[in-house]
Amino acid sequence: MDSKRAEIKRAAVIGAGVMGSGIAAHFANAGIPVVLLDIVAKNSDDRSAIAKGAVERMLKTEPAAFMHKRNAKLVTPGNLEDDIGLLADVDWIVEAIIEDKALKADLYKRIDAARKPGSVVSSNTSTIPLHMLTEGQSDAFRRDFLITHFFNPPRYMRLLELVTSPDTRTDAAELIADVCDRRLGKGVVRCKDTPGFIANRIGVFWIQAAINAAVEQGISVEEADAIGGRPMGIPKTGIFGLMDLVGLDLMPHIARSMLATLPENDAYRAESREHPVIAKLIADGYTGRKGKGGFYRVNKAGGGRVKEAVDLKTGAFRPAERPKPDAVAAAGKDLRALAEHDSPGGRFARSVLVKTLAYAASLVPDIADSITAVDEGMRLGYNWRQGPFELIDRIGTAAFAELCRSVGVPVPALVEQAAGRPFYRVEGGKLQALSVAGEYETVARPDGVLLLSDIKRASKPVWKNGSASLWDIGDGVLCVEFTSKMNALDGDIMAAYQKAMKLIGDGKGAWKALVIHNEADNFSVGANLGLAMFVINIGLWPAIEEMVETGQATYRALKYAPFPVVAAPSGMALGGGCEILLHSDHVQAHAETYIGLVEVGVGLIPGWGGCTEMLARSAANPKIPRGPMPALAPVFETISTAKVAKSAAEAKDLLYLRASDGITMNRDRLLADAKAKALELAENYTPPEKPSYVLAGPGGKAALDMFVHGFRLQGKATPHDAVVCDHLARVLTGGDADFTQPVGEEHLLELERDAFMALVREPGTIDRIEHMLTTGKPLRN
Amino acid sequence: MPIYKAPLDDVRFVLDTIVGKDSLSALPGYEDATPDLIDQVLTEGAKLCEEVLFPLNQSGDAEGCTYENGVVRTPKGFKEAYTQYAEGGWIGLSCDPAYGGQGLPKLVNTLLEEFVCSANLSFGMYPGLSLGAYNALSLYGSDALKARFLPKLVEGTWSGTMCLTEPHSGTDLGIIRTKAVPADDDSYRITGTKIFISAGEHDLTENILHLVLARLPDAPAGTKGISLFLVPKFIPNDDGTPGKRNGVACGSIEHKMGIKASSTCVMNFDDATGWLVGEPHKGMRAMFVMMNAARLAVGIQGMGLGEVAYQNAVAYAKERLQGRSLKGTKFPDKPADPIIVHPDVRRNLMTGKAYIEGSRALAALVGYQLDVAEKHADTRVRQEADEFVQLMTPIVKALMTDIGFEVANIAVQVHGGHGFIWETGVEQYVRDARIAQIYEGTNGIQALDLVGRKMGQDMGRLLRRFFHPVQAELTAALDDDSLAELAGPLAKAFGKLQQATALIAQKGMKDPEEAGAAATDYLRLFGLVALGWMWLRMAKAASAKLAAGEGDPAFLNAKLKTAAFFTAKLLPQVNTLFLTIMAGAKPLMDMEVDAF
Repeated sequence: MDSKRAEIKRAAVIGAGVMGSGIAAHFANAGIPVVLLDIVAKNSDDRSAIAKGAVERMLKTEPAAFMHKRNAKLVTPGNLEDDIGLLADVDWIVEAIIEDKALKADLYKRIDAARKPGSVVSSNTSTIPLHMLTEGQSDAFRRDFLITHFFNPPRYMRLLELVTSPDTRTDAAELIADVCDRRLGKGVVRCKDTPGFIANRIGVFWIQAAINAAVEQGISVEEADAIGGRPMGIPKTGIFGLMDLVGLDLMPHIARSMLATLPENDAYRAESREHPVIAKLIADGYTGRKGKGGFYRVNKAGGGRVKEAVDLKTGAFRPAERPKPDAVAAAGKDLRALAEHDSPGGRFARSVLVKTLAYAASLVPDIADSITAVDEGMRLGYNWRQGPFELIDRIGTAAFAELCRSVGVPVPALVEQAAGRPFYRVEGGKLQALSVAGEYETVARPDGVLLLSDIKRASKPVWKNGSASLWDIGDGVLCVEFTSKMNALDGDIMAAYQKAMKLIGDGKGAWKALVIHNEADNFSVGANLGLAMFVINIGLWPAIEEMVETGQATYRALKYAPFPVVAAPSGMALGGGCEILLHSDHVQAHAETYIGLVEVGVGLIPGWGGCTEMLARSAANPKIPRGPMPALAPVFETISTAKVAKSAAEAKDLLYLRASDGITMNRDRLLADAKAKALELAENYTPPEKPSYVLAGPGGKAALDMFVHGFRLQGKATPHDAVVCDHLARVLTGGDADFTQPVGEEHLLELERDAFMALVREPGTIDRIEHMLTTGKPLRN
Repeated sequence: MPIYKAPLDDVRFVLDTIVGKDSLSALPGYEDATPDLIDQVLTEGAKLCEEVLFPLNQSGDAEGCTYENGVVRTPKGFKEAYTQYAEGGWIGLSCDPAYGGQGLPKLVNTLLEEFVCSANLSFGMYPGLSLGAYNALSLYGSDALKARFLPKLVEGTWSGTMCLTEPHSGTDLGIIRTKAVPADDDSYRITGTKIFISAGEHDLTENILHLVLARLPDAPAGTKGISLFLVPKFIPNDDGTPGKRNGVACGSIEHKMGIKASSTCVMNFDDATGWLVGEPHKGMRAMFVMMNAARLAVGIQGMGLGEVAYQNAVAYAKERLQGRSLKGTKFPDKPADPIIVHPDVRRNLMTGKAYIEGSRALAALVGYQLDVAEKHADTRVRQEADEFVQLMTPIVKALMTDIGFEVANIAVQVHGGHGFIWETGVEQYVRDARIAQIYEGTNGIQALDLVGRKMGQDMGRLLRRFFHPVQAELTAALDDDSLAELAGPLAKAFGKLQQATALIAQKGMKDPEEAGAAATDYLRLFGLVALGWMWLRMAKAASAKLAAGEGDPAFLNAKLKTAAFFTAKLLPQVNTLFLTIMAGAKPLMDMEVDAF
C-alpha cells in the first residue's frame, strides 16, 4: 500500500506539559525531528521559555525521557504565536494540551490553517470523545484527525491507544499505527471512541473497586497491596502504591470526567464514591510521591527513615507492615484459590477480581472489537502480567461465573457465552481467542512480528536442560533461550551454547546461524551469584576456576564459530550477560536495553573475556587516539565504575555496543530483526580475525595506580575499590607486557582469570557478593 | 568397681592450645577468668566429681528413683550430694552475678559438665535442667519474673525443667495440645499432659519451676502458635518461700534403659497457674535460642561417658593378664601378658582415646565461640562466632553422642565377659549413653538440621565459618614438613567434604529427599573432618611445645601418636561415607512400604 510508504519525516507536539514534552522526546528517540510548541511565556524575556524549559527539565529528570542526551537537539522548542509556521513542514502534529474542549477547538482551527495538506493531526486526550473534538472543524481536518493516546511516561510505557472516526482517512490511521509500532516501538491497540478508551476505563474502575473494598472491609493498605499486587500478576506497588505514583489528587478529576461521559447504566457509577479518609489525605497535602507522600510516606523524624502507611480507619500514619495474608500463602499461584479463600484477604481478592474482571468482560465489544485488544491494553498500559480475560482463564470461566453469582455481580454475556470454555486456547500450535461471536479465532500478529512465545506454543524445543532451551525459529536459525531463575548464567547455559555449536557445526548444514534471545523482563543479570557464593563459602576454588575457564572458552568458541551469532537483548544485560553481547558478531538490541559490566560492584572484574573484548574495541575505535594508554583509559573508567548504559543508544557511547549494532524500537519486532540479520550474515560468513593487542605494561599500570590513588584521596574510591582497581589495571595493561611487543588475546584472558581468582578469595569481595545477594544493593566497602 | 579421674591435664592442654591461654580473660566481662582462676575452679570441681558424685553413680543406677503417691524419691545420697553441689556454687558457675552466679565464662561450665557427666550423668541432669531453665528465663523472661525466680535457680534451692514433649507430640512440637488461658490477673491457666520430663518431680529442692510449651486460645496452627510459660510447683510467697501448691503433679515415672537415678516424669497440668515467658506465640524462638547451649551440653554428656568408659577399659587392659603377645612374651615375670599387648585391644583403646580427645577439643572450641558470640566487643566477630556455633551445634551433638556410645560399647568389649556384668560398672555407660543420641533432637534430626537448615542458610554463609579457617590452616600445614603426614590426608578428606557439600546442596535443592538420604552420613563425614582439624591443631601445638622444651614430653608424644592414629585409622572412614552419600536416595526410597 502507498500509505505504508508515506513517511513521518518531521513531527510536531503542541503542549509542553509532562505528556507533550515526553512525546516530543520520544519522537527524537526515534530519530524524528520534532517541533515542540506551547503558549507564549508571560513572565519571561524568552517567549518560548515554556517549551525550552520543558526540554531542559527532561535532560535532568530520571528516568530520562531521552534515550541519549544528543536527542534533545532534534527537538525545536517554540511558541504558538511566533513559531506556528513551523507546522507547515511537519507530517504529524500531536496535540497534548489540557483537557478543555473549547481551547482544543480553537487550537485545531489554528493548526488547520498552518499545517500542510494531508498531514495528520492527533490528540493525546484521554477523556474527550473524538466526535466532540472534531465538531466545527473543516472536512479536511476531520479526515486527517485521530486520537493517539500515549501513557506516561511516553518513552517507557508501551501502550498506544489509537481511536479513529468514520471520517478518518484509512491510510492516515494506518500510517500513524505503523509509525507508532515500528519507529516509536509502541504496542498499538485500536479502541472505539468511548470514555477512557480501554486501559483507563478498566484501570480507573479497578482502582476504585479496590479502594472501596479495602476501606469497607477493613483491609489495610499493605494487605491490599500484598493481595492485589504480585498474586494477581500486577506490579508489586499494587493499588495504593500505584495511586501514590499517579497522584491521589488526580482521582477526583478522573472520576468527574468519567461520570460526565459514561453511559447511564455503567457499573462505575455504582462504584464511584469519595472516601473521607482520602479526601483528608489530599487536603493535608498527601497527594502521593510528588507531595508529602500518599497512602505511604517515609517518616524522617529524628533523622530516621521509617516507611509508614496510613490507617484507613483513622487516617493516622503508623509504621508500615509487611503482611503475608493467609489467602496469599494458601493460594500460591492459584488465582481461583485466592478468590475463593475463606478469609478477610480472600474476600478482598474476591470482590476486586470479580467486579473488575466482570466489568472488563462486559465492555466488549463496546470499547474494542476483541478481547485480545482489552488484554493487550491492560498489559501494556498498566503493566499487568495478564489482561482481564487471561485472568478469568486462570480462574476458569465456569468458576468465574460461579464467583460472580456468589457475590451478586451479573455474569457478563461473554462469560455466559464461553460456557465453561477458556477465552484462549492453543490449537494446532496457534494461540486462539474467543471472538465476540463466540468462535475461536487465531490471534493475528502484525506483519513482521516474530515472538518466541508463539514459536514455543507451536513447537517443542530442539534441546533443553535446566537453564536453557534451543528453539528452531525457522529458515535454519537456532535460538538459545535462557530459562534459569532470573536468567542467571550457569554451567547449564554454557552447555546449551556448546550444544548449539555442535548442532550448527560449520553452518552449512540444516542450521546456518544462532540467535541469543529471550522474552523475560531482563535478558540476563549475569552469572548465578548465589551459586558462586555457596561455592566460595565452602572454599571450592577449583569449581570457581572451572566456571571462569568454561565461560571464557565457550564465549571464545562462539566468537570464532564458523557461523554468525546474533544476540537480541532487551532489559538488563549485565556482567556475563553483557559479555556474551561483546562476543556476538552482531547485537540487535531493543532500544530499552541496559547494558553494563558491573562486576566491580561485587568486588570482581569481568572474567569471561569482558576486559579483553572491551580493550580490543577501544583500540579499534577510530575516535580514540592511537596507542595503548588512550585505548585503555575509557575501558578502565567504564569497568572500574561499573557503568550501566541507560539505553541501547548510550551503550554505543560506552562501547558495549558497536556503531554497527542494530537497535529495534519495538520489542515485539526484536527477534525478527535479529533473525534477518543472522541470515544476512550467514551469506558468505567468515569468522572474525583474532586481534593482537598493544599493551601499556608496567608503565601504564603505574599511571593507573596514581589515578586510583587520587580517587582514594578524594574519597571517590573505597578501600576495596582500590584493591579491585589494582587487579583491573594489571589486566588492562597486560601485566608485565612490553608495549613494543603485541600479544594475543590468550595472554589477556589468562590475566583475567588470575585476577578473578585472586579477587574472589578477598574478604572484601566476599562481603560485597554477600551484601548484593542479601540486600540487592552494592556494598561500598 | 569402676574408676574415674577427671582428665585435668588434657583439659589444660585444650584450653592452652585450642582456646588459647588468655582468650577467655580477653573477653569483656570475663577479665577475672584468668588461666589460674579457671585451673583452680576446675581442680576443685574435679575433686567434687571424683569424690562425691562418682561414688553415687553405680548405687544410683541400682536403686533408681521411686514413685509413690505423686512423690518421687531420688536414690540414697543424692540429696546430700546435691546440697553440697549447690552450696559450692557449682550450679551458677556461669550465671550472672546479679542473680548470685559466679559470672565465669560458659566454657568453664562446659568443661566442668564433662566431669559431672563422667562421674554421674543421672545426677548431672538435675542441675543441668536448672541451667536450661535459667538460660530461657534470663533471655526471655520479664524483669519481674527474673527477679523472682532466677536467684533461687542459681542458688539451687529451686530447680528447673523443660516441658515440651506430649504423648502424641515429640519431634513435631507443632501439634502440642497443652492449653494456656489468660486469667484475670497477668497470669495464665495451663492444662495438659507432658511426658518424658526429666527432673519433673524429685526430693532435692523445695520448689520446681517448669517451663512449659502451650497454646493460647487465639494461637495460629503449628509451631508459630506455641508460647512458653513458667509454672512453679509451689507458687512463691512474696517473701520468696514456696507457697500454695500449684495444679501440677507427677502422674508416674518411667522405667528406663539408663540414667535411672534421673527421674523421668509424666507431668499433669490441671488449671495450673503460670506466667508467659517472652512474647505470645514466640515460644519456639525461645527454645531455639537455648538449643545451641542445650545441644552442646548433650554432646558433652556423650563425651563424658566415653571418657569414663575409656579410662576403665585402659585400666582393665593393663591389669588383665591373658595369653601372650603375638610376637612372644612381653612380661616374662608375669603368668601372662596384659591384654594391652594385642593389636586389636590397642585398636579399641586408640579409637576411644582419639575420638574422645578430639571431641574434647572440638567441644571446647565450640563452647569458647559461644562465649565469643555473647561477649566479644566487635559485632562482626560476635556474629561470626554465633554462625560457627549454629553450624557446629548439630555436629557436636550427634557426633559426640554417637562417639560416646561407641566408646562405651568398646569399653565393654575390652572387658570381655566381665564387661557384661553389672558389678564391673561399664555396661551402665552403654545404657546411660544411649539416651544422649535420642533426646534434645534425635541424631537423625540433627543431621537434617545440618543439611536442611544450616547448610543452605544465606547461600552457605554458616559453612564459611568452618571451611575457610580449616582451609587456611591446611594450606599452612601442607607447607610444614613436620605436619605434612597429617595435613595431606586431612586435605584429601576436606576435599571430599567440599565435594559432598556441593553435591548435597545441588541435589537437595531439586529433591529434598536427596539431602535427607545423605544427612546422617554427611554429618559424620563433617564431624570426622572437624576432629581431624582438631588433631592437626593439637599435633601442631604439641610439636611446638616439644621443640620449645615445654610441658610433659610423655603427654605431648602421646598426642602426636594419637593424632597419627586418628589420621591413619579413623579419618579414612570419610571415603566410605563419601561413596554412600554419592549413592543418593534411590537405594533407600526404592522399595514399596508393603515390601518391608
